[in-house]
Amino acid sequence: MAILSVQNLHVQFKTPFGAVYALRGIDFELAKGEILGLVGETGCGKSVTGRSILRLLDDNAQVTAGRIAFENSDLLRLPESAMREIRGKRIAMIFQDPATALNPLFTIGQQLADVLRAHAPGAAAARRRQSLDLLASVGLPDPAQTAKVYPHQLSGGQQQRAMIALSLAAKPDVIIADEPTTALDVTIQAQILDLLRRLQRERAISVILITHDLGVVAETCQQVVVLYAGRVVEAGAVAAVFPAPQHPYTQGLLAALPRPGSRGSDLKVIPGNVPSGLERIDGCAFAPRCEHVMNRCRARQPAFTSFSAAHHAACFLHEASVCG
Amino acid sequence: MAFVSFLLRRLGLSVVVFVGVLLLTFIVSRIIPSNPGALYAGARPRPEQVAAIEKKLGLDKPLSEQFHIYVHDLLGGDLGESYHSRRSINADLSIFLPATLELVIAAVLIALVIGIPVGVLAGAYPRGVFDYATRFVAIAGVSVPSFWLALIAQSVFFSQLGWLPLGSRISRDATLFYPIAAQTGFYLIDAAISANWKAWFDALHHLILPALVLSAYPLGVTIRMTQASMLEALSEAYVTAARAAGLPRRVILFKLALKNAIMPALTVVGLSFAYSITGAFLVETIFSWPGVGKYVTEAVLNVDFPVIIAVTLVVTIFYILVNLLVDVIQAFLDPRLRLV
Ligand SMILES: Nc1ncnc2c1ncn2[C@@H]1O[C@H](COP(=O)(O)OP(=O)(O)OP(=O)(O)O)[C@@H](O)[C@H]1O
Ligand SMILES: [Mg+2]
Repeated sequence: MAILSVQNLHVQFKTPFGAVYALRGIDFELAKGEILGLVGETGCGKSVTGRSILRLLDDNAQVTAGRIAFENSDLLRLPESAMREIRGKRIAMIFQDPATALNPLFTIGQQLADVLRAHAPGAAAARRRQSLDLLASVGLPDPAQTAKVYPHQLSGGQQQRAMIALSLAAKPDVIIADEPTTALDVTIQAQILDLLRRLQRERAISVILITHDLGVVAETCQQVVVLYAGRVVEAGAVAAVFPAPQHPYTQGLLAALPRPGSRGSDLKVIPGNVPSGLERIDGCAFAPRCEHVMNRCRARQPAFTSFSAAHHAACFLHEASVCG
Repeated sequence: MAFVSFLLRRLGLSVVVFVGVLLLTFIVSRIIPSNPGALYAGARPRPEQVAAIEKKLGLDKPLSEQFHIYVHDLLGGDLGESYHSRRSINADLSIFLPATLELVIAAVLIALVIGIPVGVLAGAYPRGVFDYATRFVAIAGVSVPSFWLALIAQSVFFSQLGWLPLGSRISRDATLFYPIAAQTGFYLIDAAISANWKAWFDALHHLILPALVLSAYPLGVTIRMTQASMLEALSEAYVTAARAAGLPRRVILFKLALKNAIMPALTVVGLSFAYSITGAFLVETIFSWPGVGKYVTEAVLNVDFPVIIAVTLVVTIFYILVNLLVDVIQAFLDPRLRLV
């Protein structure tokens, strides 16, 4: 059952150079208790998607169409006061760089207390106990000590654990994690992903994991949504998509993934660049970089083709094969 | 512990600055006046009079010894005596300095109490009517000359409306019928200590106009700096994170962002605080405020070097103390500063 569903989401930004079309119709569903990986190259709209859900886009952003369904309501149409009740308490967020996402001038304990106070009025002593429990549950050694320190006194991995503790404070149902491991060492990355998996299992939290690393998706997620230039090009269960990717872009990303035993020179990188978002794209946005490109790819948008109940992709190669 | 060692290092730095100023003032006071003995002696002195005075003032001794005496006296708290009035400078300053400090502190308090919330809101709602209005007020506050503002204020609040007095620190009635018992020299404090509320309100009444005029510059600076650093703080990731966590806007603005934004603002406010003390000299003259400004203006006209030097030193100490205070507050607010 879907706890959150994003439908036909269009977002654009007003800039001095004209409108930037960041999202051009995004659809996906987050199933309850699952981890969904949102992947794509830089600039494809992963963070904008995540921030749209919590309505935390920059001031120059405009949602021009779409719906974000969460528990019988459309988040895009809720009043700001209702949205504040959702943020943190129902849907929380974890950020890429914990060093800047934690406030440098407040101790970890003070920052936890602020979140707890905002969502659950109660005694200071109760809040303090809750804070220590939270710090312990994200695997920070010596919670009492950690509560007393400032962010700069923690290592990157510890900072991200503290950030996760903050996001858990008001017991959310959904966590949006925007590249939570990109700023960390490889070994720490694995620990943080383990922690996310464990929390998702133990607390039945649903997670949107934003990443550009398909390896992370393979290890962590049940579902995957591949974005390209503000659109979904392929989506489905990880178990279905990874063995048999159908969109040339997904195929390219997977081919670029280092495999055990492969040498650097074996890696295939997709040639070309992501379009800027300033120009309107009539056909398939990936056409200029696609090795299978056909005339109609440039003329209009391919529709989705389903390969199984849990796997679909938008590419004319398959539309052709289905239509004969 | 880190805080204590930070304090010690910062104090050490202040001492170095102070010693530098001591040296400079000494050099200026001995080299610039072509003939200090003659100055002291008054009009058309005879050479033997000048020689006697030079002996009395120690001006016939070698410079190194003079410097020794100079520093020795100052460290003993003796600022010397005026060439012109022959009065002790210590005694004079104990009257004039509190008057100036009362005025300057009132002005800076006005600037902080109004300037910080206004700056926060202007930073929180950029490109709105409020933003443009405060920008206008802030730039006007910084750029309008204080003497002009003082004259306008006097003509409006004294001549037209008759709400506030034209000048001086207290009314003649108050000095005659309910005089303030001097303790600190700050009228508002002394009157409050002795529960002399009539005199307290009288002193406040006199303080309002000059303090408002003097606060224009620090107020403008405070608003502009707070607004600019608020804008910057609000674009930081921790603010987005705080919004994502559902924290109330009030907490985000006035607690989380302001604590970060106040740091650069404090530096500039500290400087403008110290700057106000010299700015006060002009305002004091216009409002007949019996402060250091009026005192030193007369000294300059009379080429009364010991007074000029003494006031320079006092203002310097004030600068040093204010900067020290700003650094200590910042280190108190930002744990990272205590490390450096
Ligand atoms: N405030 C903004 N003004 C203008 N354009 C913006 C703004 N924010 C995002 N964009 C544009 O929206 C598009 C999507 O950005 P987004 O941050 O979602 O990318 P991303 O997939 O998260 O990339 P990355 O992997 O680098 O984080 C980009 O083209 C970006 O330039
Ligand atoms: Mg991003």
